[in-house]
Amino acid sequence: MGAWLIPMTIVTPFAGAMAVAFCKPLRRSLRALHIAVGAFVLATALLALVTSLQEEAETVLFEFLPNVPLYFRADSVAVTFALLTVCMWLSSTVFSFEYLAHGEREDRYNIFSLLALAALMGVCFSGNLVTTYLFYEMMTLATFPLVMHEQTKEAISAGMTYLYYSLAGAFLGLVGIFFLYAYSTPGSRGAGGRLMYRAGGFLSQALTESQSSALLVAVFLMLVGLGSKAGMFPLHGWLPKAHPVAPAPASALLSGNITKMGILFIIRIVYYCVGPRFIGGTWAQYALLTLTVLTIFLGSMLAFREKVMKKRLAYSTVSQTSYILAGIYILTNPTGSFLHIIFHSVIKNLLFLCAGAVIVKTGKTKVAEWKGLGRQMPFTMTAFTIGGLALVGIPPLAGFVSKWHIATTALGSGTPYFSIIVPVILLVSALLTAGYLMGPAADAWFVAKAPEHAEAKEAAEVSEAEVAEVSEVAADVVEATEEKKENAPAPETTATTSKREAGLRILIPLGILAAAAIVFGLFPNPLVEFFEGFYLPSYWPM
Amino acid sequence: MEWIRNFPFFAILLAMVSGPVSSVLPGRHARRVSFLVVITSGLLSVCTLAYVLYTGEAFTYQMGAFPAPFGNEIRAGVLEAMTATFFCLIMLLSLVGGYRFTAVDIAEDRENLFYILINLLLASLLALIYTNDLFTGYVFIEINTIAACGLIMIRGWGRNLLAATKYMIMSLLGSGLLLISIAVLYGITGHLLMEPMHGAIVDIVEKGTYTEPLTVAVGLFCVGIAIKSALFPFHSWLPDAYGYSTCSSSAILSSLVSKGYIFLLIKFFYRVIGTDIIHQIQVDDVLFVFGIAGMIFGSVSAIQQTDVGRMIAFSSVAQIGYIYMGFGLNTEAGMIASIFHILAHSAGKSLLFVSLNGLTGGNWENANYRKLRGAAYRNRIAGVGFAVGSLSMVGIPLLAGFTSKVYFAQAAFGVSSTTKQLVTLVALAVSTILNAMYFIGQTINIYTPLQRTEGRPRVAVGRAMWTATVLFILLNLLLGIGSEPIFRWIEEGLRLFG
Repeated sequence: MGAWLIPMTIVTPFAGAMAVAFCKPLRRSLRALHIAVGAFVLATALLALVTSLQEEAETVLFEFLPNVPLYFRADSVAVTFALLTVCMWLSSTVFSFEYLAHGEREDRYNIFSLLALAALMGVCFSGNLVTTYLFYEMMTLATFPLVMHEQTKEAISAGMTYLYYSLAGAFLGLVGIFFLYAYSTPGSRGAGGRLMYRAGGFLSQALTESQSSALLVAVFLMLVGLGSKAGMFPLHGWLPKAHPVAPAPASALLSGNITKMGILFIIRIVYYCVGPRFIGGTWAQYALLTLTVLTIFLGSMLAFREKVMKKRLAYSTVSQTSYILAGIYILTNPTGSFLHIIFHSVIKNLLFLCAGAVIVKTGKTKVAEWKGLGRQMPFTMTAFTIGGLALVGIPPLAGFVSKWHIATTALGSGTPYFSIIVPVILLVSALLTAGYLMGPAADAWFVAKAPEHAEAKEAAEVSEAEVAEVSEVAADVVEATEEKKENAPAPETTATTSKREAGLRILIPLGILAAAAIVFGLFPNPLVEFFEGFYLPSYWPM
Repeated sequence: MEWIRNFPFFAILLAMVSGPVSSVLPGRHARRVSFLVVITSGLLSVCTLAYVLYTGEAFTYQMGAFPAPFGNEIRAGVLEAMTATFFCLIMLLSLVGGYRFTAVDIAEDRENLFYILINLLLASLLALIYTNDLFTGYVFIEINTIAACGLIMIRGWGRNLLAATKYMIMSLLGSGLLLISIAVLYGITGHLLMEPMHGAIVDIVEKGTYTEPLTVAVGLFCVGIAIKSALFPFHSWLPDAYGYSTCSSSAILSSLVSKGYIFLLIKFFYRVIGTDIIHQIQVDDVLFVFGIAGMIFGSVSAIQQTDVGRMIAFSSVAQIGYIYMGFGLNTEAGMIASIFHILAHSAGKSLLFVSLNGLTGGNWENANYRKLRGAAYRNRIAGVGFAVGSLSMVGIPLLAGFTSKVYFAQAAFGVSSTTKQLVTLVALAVSTILNAMYFIGQTINIYTPLQRTEGRPRVAVGRAMWTATVLFILLNLLLGIGSEPIFRWIEEGLRLFG
């Protein structure tokens, strides 16, 4: 039931993008269009979730290559990622309405963000390797214009860097796909063709035993290559370059969604193509674990040293994503990783939106400038503090639960050395996280005010911001309801410089995300049970 | 249905006869005749394709019903008919796409000359595809060279004349080698038709006589074709010839002319020498090495270009390298991949040239990458075409280039030598990244808006060009998505070859 809805989750955003691109009258009701598309996809994903709990819906579009059709399948992993993706996309999109200036560029941003949604849905629901690869490439192509949005020299060079890292990584993945095709069980197996995902892997037993070393090298390179999207060392270079220049909603999209797709692809390969039995206990597993541990540490250190807030958050993403990868490469039970995927998305989105809100309202990009911000933007700063605490892993908040699972699984896995190293590095990194996130939060709340010379500059910026706001309000005459809400804070900012919260369209996503960080931390058990149900213990390597 | 067997011959004859007829017609009518001939030849090829698919076997057609060794034969199988159809289609689209520029670039009194050359080129391409006789092949290679040369210099600028001279010298060198090779083969086998020649060669190899002359002849043939199709070390004539010609010329030259020669080489391998003997005298290894070198160095040269026309031309060197690499694998899968790449590259490269001309307004002085900045906003459909062509060349899924890369990689796994396997995969990887560097960079360049909206006006899009670009894009998508039947046809065609 409902299998035909799966391609619709790709077609609808795509159609939306085309509508924005080619139909000028529609552009006025752009926001409504976005919300409608997002709501539709969300509803479909929810429906798919309900369906997948009973039976897995699948659909074949057409034969793409010999033995390899374009094939979609809504299993639990797919649905989890799809739901997460839509939610994150919606929150960053709602935020972008406020953040971006109106005009030609906003249209372009919207077109590509809709295209990105289509590609993301494709990656989530794809049921064989080639389909995933196809949408993975589409995702790269749809998102690099978002990085280049500002069109400054730095933005364009960052976009190119992002593109090259992604293409190079994806191509390593493609080489791996060729190898996997050659080593897969011959003959068609079910609707998905030769490369269809199957829990535990689809490799042909006879072939892998005879010539496993070449395949192991290929799989290792493949995982390293796909690690580029997930920001894993050594292909993480694009992340810190892209984030500072991209507009804040695009940053949130990159770190909340795109890195997660890298992880999804890796999960698909490790658990559904080669199978944990194949790489468990080999040099490849240890090498990958070494890389993730290195990345966790390096990312945290770099974040700690970084002065620019968004860049700091980007480095933090590098390190946090590798928590997830470490949990995956331990190969016994990825529940902790799944939890961290969800929680990190929520928290990092929250933090990026906070940083964005500060930039929109005060233009402050550096961490040092955050002193005394708590008085001016109490709500934003509260949200930031909650997010920071959650990411460090303070118990009633979300991050604690996932780290707990990753650490305990690692300890119980019996992997030599790494069963100790992984929990230790998690603790070290948590300390560093506290350093780089709680520092600015403390400054914001407890340091009285910013230095004098910055004050004058701010005043000038405030007047600019007001002008911008007034013109924005004027442009929004159509949306009468929203205008009312916006008018309320506007006079306040003119009256006193002390309080200048961002508009409701930023505050509402902030509130929801902060609430989610708390709720997930307090009641994680339904999620834990859901994720534990994903995997049969029968194919763990023993 | 027997009468369909006449169709390949009709197509060749029609194209040849229309040349002299066009010479007395004014340009406008010559154009109509030419379009009509290309369309008719395409339809005849479609019928032939349907016929051979229906009967499931190839047929030979004796001209004037004289049997060998006196008469001349042509032969049509699935592969021949398919290639002919495809070539006609590409030629038609290129002519339509560059139609506006042809009228501007070429002096009015020479317009009919252009269409004569087109007809001649079509005739020679069809003959190269269908011929069953090595010497006929040679004759049409020469005709092809002359026609191509004319197409290069028809614009009449200094650069074109220079390019045409370069092309002429290199091409004649290649033809000379081919002629020597054919003479040697005739000397040791006593035949010119492909089947008897193949029989004689198998005998020679079994007996162990004349092995040196045979090796030399095969080597000369390959080098001759390599020069004419711009395999890596012999590519110096290519960038000028492709980069500065008029739109239709560039598109046709880059996508069809070299492919006609390559098709003859495939026939030579399969029908004259036999793939086992090719492997025995290790020609395949040599071609493999040069193919790989071409893939890398072609792209490296392309990166260094500031002129986008030359950049696209150099990328042809890289793509030709792919094709020879597939020959070098010397397996059926490798050959299928190469043939598919011939189609994929033709579709992509002609699209790129037509779009580039759309972006520059047909003036190569505008083809510098600085001047092209933001050009996609001045001519949207050409911008889209350029982007699609570029992505196809890089190998993004859903487009033709990706499918051929997948075929190449799968072919690599079928090779027994592990070295070749690894070299192929590494070369594919490196070449993809190099391709991405210049093609994606250029696509972003044309989509980078200018800061001020001063200066260059919008380029008007003719309806013809719009249609051609859209059809080209669809063709690329079709090859990328629906490669399955084409794959089967190529497989079937190669089976009929053997």
